[in-house]
Amino acid sequence: MSNKKINRRGFIKLGIAGATVIAGSQIIKRAQALETVETGGRKWAMVIDQSKCTGCDYCTLACRAHNDIPPEISWNVVSKTGTVGAQDVYTPRPCMQCHHAPCVDVCPVRASSYRPDGIVKMDYDRCIGCRYCEIACPYGARSFNWKLFDGPNPSVPEWGQPEVDRRPRGVVEKCSFCFQRIDRGLALGQTPGVDEDATPACVVVCPVGARIFGDINDPKSNVSKILKGRTSYRLREDLGTSPQVYYLPATEEQQP
Amino acid sequence: MKTIRRRISPWMAWFGGLLVVMAAGAAAGVMIFWKGLSLTNLTDMVPWGLWITIDLSSIAMSAGAFSLCAVVYLLGLKRYESVARTATFIGLIGYTMAVLTLLLDIGRPDRFWHAMIYWNKHSLLWEVTMCVTFYLAVLGLEAMPIFANFGWLRTHWPKLSAKLSRVHHYAPYLAIAGLGLSMLHQSSLGALYGVLKARPLWYRPDISVLFIISAVAGGMALTVLASMLSARATKHANVENNILDRVSFIIGWVLVAYLYFRFWDALSMTYTYEPGRTEGLRLLTNGPLSFNFWVGEVLLGAVIPIILLLNKRMRALPLWRMVALALVVGGVVAYRWDTNMSGLLIVLSYLPGEPAVAYTAYHPSLIEFLAGAGIISYGLLAFSLGVRFLKVVDHGQVKAHVEEAKTIQTIPVTGD
Repeated sequence: MSNKKINRRGFIKLGIAGATVIAGSQIIKRAQALETVETGGRKWAMVIDQSKCTGCDYCTLACRAHNDIPPEISWNVVSKTGTVGAQDVYTPRPCMQCHHAPCVDVCPVRASSYRPDGIVKMDYDRCIGCRYCEIACPYGARSFNWKLFDGPNPSVPEWGQPEVDRRPRGVVEKCSFCFQRIDRGLALGQTPGVDEDATPACVVVCPVGARIFGDINDPKSNVSKILKGRTSYRLREDLGTSPQVYYLPATEEQQP
Repeated sequence: MKTIRRRISPWMAWFGGLLVVMAAGAAAGVMIFWKGLSLTNLTDMVPWGLWITIDLSSIAMSAGAFSLCAVVYLLGLKRYESVARTATFIGLIGYTMAVLTLLLDIGRPDRFWHAMIYWNKHSLLWEVTMCVTFYLAVLGLEAMPIFANFGWLRTHWPKLSAKLSRVHHYAPYLAIAGLGLSMLHQSSLGALYGVLKARPLWYRPDISVLFIISAVAGGMALTVLASMLSARATKHANVENNILDRVSFIIGWVLVAYLYFRFWDALSMTYTYEPGRTEGLRLLTNGPLSFNFWVGEVLLGAVIPIILLLNKRMRALPLWRMVALALVVGGVVAYRWDTNMSGLLIVLSYLPGEPAVAYTAYHPSLIEFLAGAGIISYGLLAFSLGVRFLKVVDHGQVKAHVEEAKTIQTIPVTGD
């Protein structure tokens, strides 16, 4: 056994066996982890009624003002997507807060993570700005701060002030479902989706009530009730990301 | 004028030229750190561009280190040891180039260490970061006997030099660590693209296989090419032609394997008709990337080098061999660029009832070119210094070096 060759061969075998065990355990762990994303008791969802949306873009403005968003970036994009009858149809797109979010999987530093209530949260103090999440997101919901945003924000009115800190240069940012409003509201005993102060800014500002917000795990919430009664769809459901933003399509009979 | 020209040796001209480009690159780097990535032509649509290509390519070009070290220390083919030595040094340079490029490319270089602390085991980029870090350490250890060769160190710090030299005895263990780490991250640099379901052209399992095979071909090709060029350029380098000939022959067969996988990969993608994938493939076959693909990757990058390297007569001619090896290197770089671009230039819409696919464009800005050129010149400069002062391309000297290491080991320590 003092033969050097046998030692080396044994060592190689050991190395290969070790690598296989580590790789195997990681694969199994990963498979299990994907099935057990903890969402706790509440799970926030948004319903966007396309038969009501007029494309006024107030949601985007309210979002800008509340979240201090730089002019080059938009957390919420409203696009015109065809017509039904004589009416234009619009598709507003906040972050989908996916149940299986590619951005959370790919982030090398866990700067994107799931909150227990299902919101995909960004940690701007941790993000290294690699932009892998931007490439992975199927919804284009993420934007990079290519330059420093300083000075006053033209979207913020004189009579109010943003609710969250401005992001530094060099990090990726995205819609948060205004969880600062949700958390504050819950602490005050309010119900997000019912009490305006506890509800995302875009939902509150919508002049035609096209956005509905609430706890999808609560069968008595607004979102649960409306999703039970109406046909809904989600964007790119084929990808299996399981978005938490539901759309009620505009149809002929719902036109005024 | 004539006297000045006579005083400047070719070495000084080469050295000075590289320093100038490096200075320009450093200035570009400072601008980036100061003003931010808005100076680049990168956008939210194409967030990865020229620098990612340089990063991927320099890592691919370093693959000669792990493959040749495995050949020497695990398969026991000791005659390739001198080439493995060169490859290890190139690997060390290549990985430092990659780290430099990444520091430029990420938005918050001050937080580069976050991946070490905040692990996301689901992220292939995390895995790549960890592997690159550990492998850089392995390469540093593997290169210690090379640094022990530095004349100044040998005369002024003989004990340290001897210590560095002794690391050579752990070469087989380092080779195993290097093999494992390299197999992991060379492949997962491809898988990094391959796991993204949002990008149908990338979303396929074999992209990781293509990445590692092309990296092995490219890395060995650069090692042999650099050795041959050094031997022609300076008396500080000497090569044994037989060994380089054999390695070139191996490169030819690795390329055959690469082309084989690449063919079936492209063919199977052709008939999926998946929105985004078909269009992405069309970018390569008859779109803006088609010259890169057909000429850069397939014809010049694979077919012609295969013919030149597997034909005994052609391979024996130094000029044709060098041409073939340079083409391999170019082909691998073209493959990295095309892979990144073909996935990013296609923008798949998430909207219902919209045309599924839109196109975007990207052309690197001057500052990206300058910083990239600076990093490449750093690599060339480091290698040139290695050839001159560390004798990294020296096929005659390795035997003596090993003998010396042995004598150092057997000398009994007689307390000071």
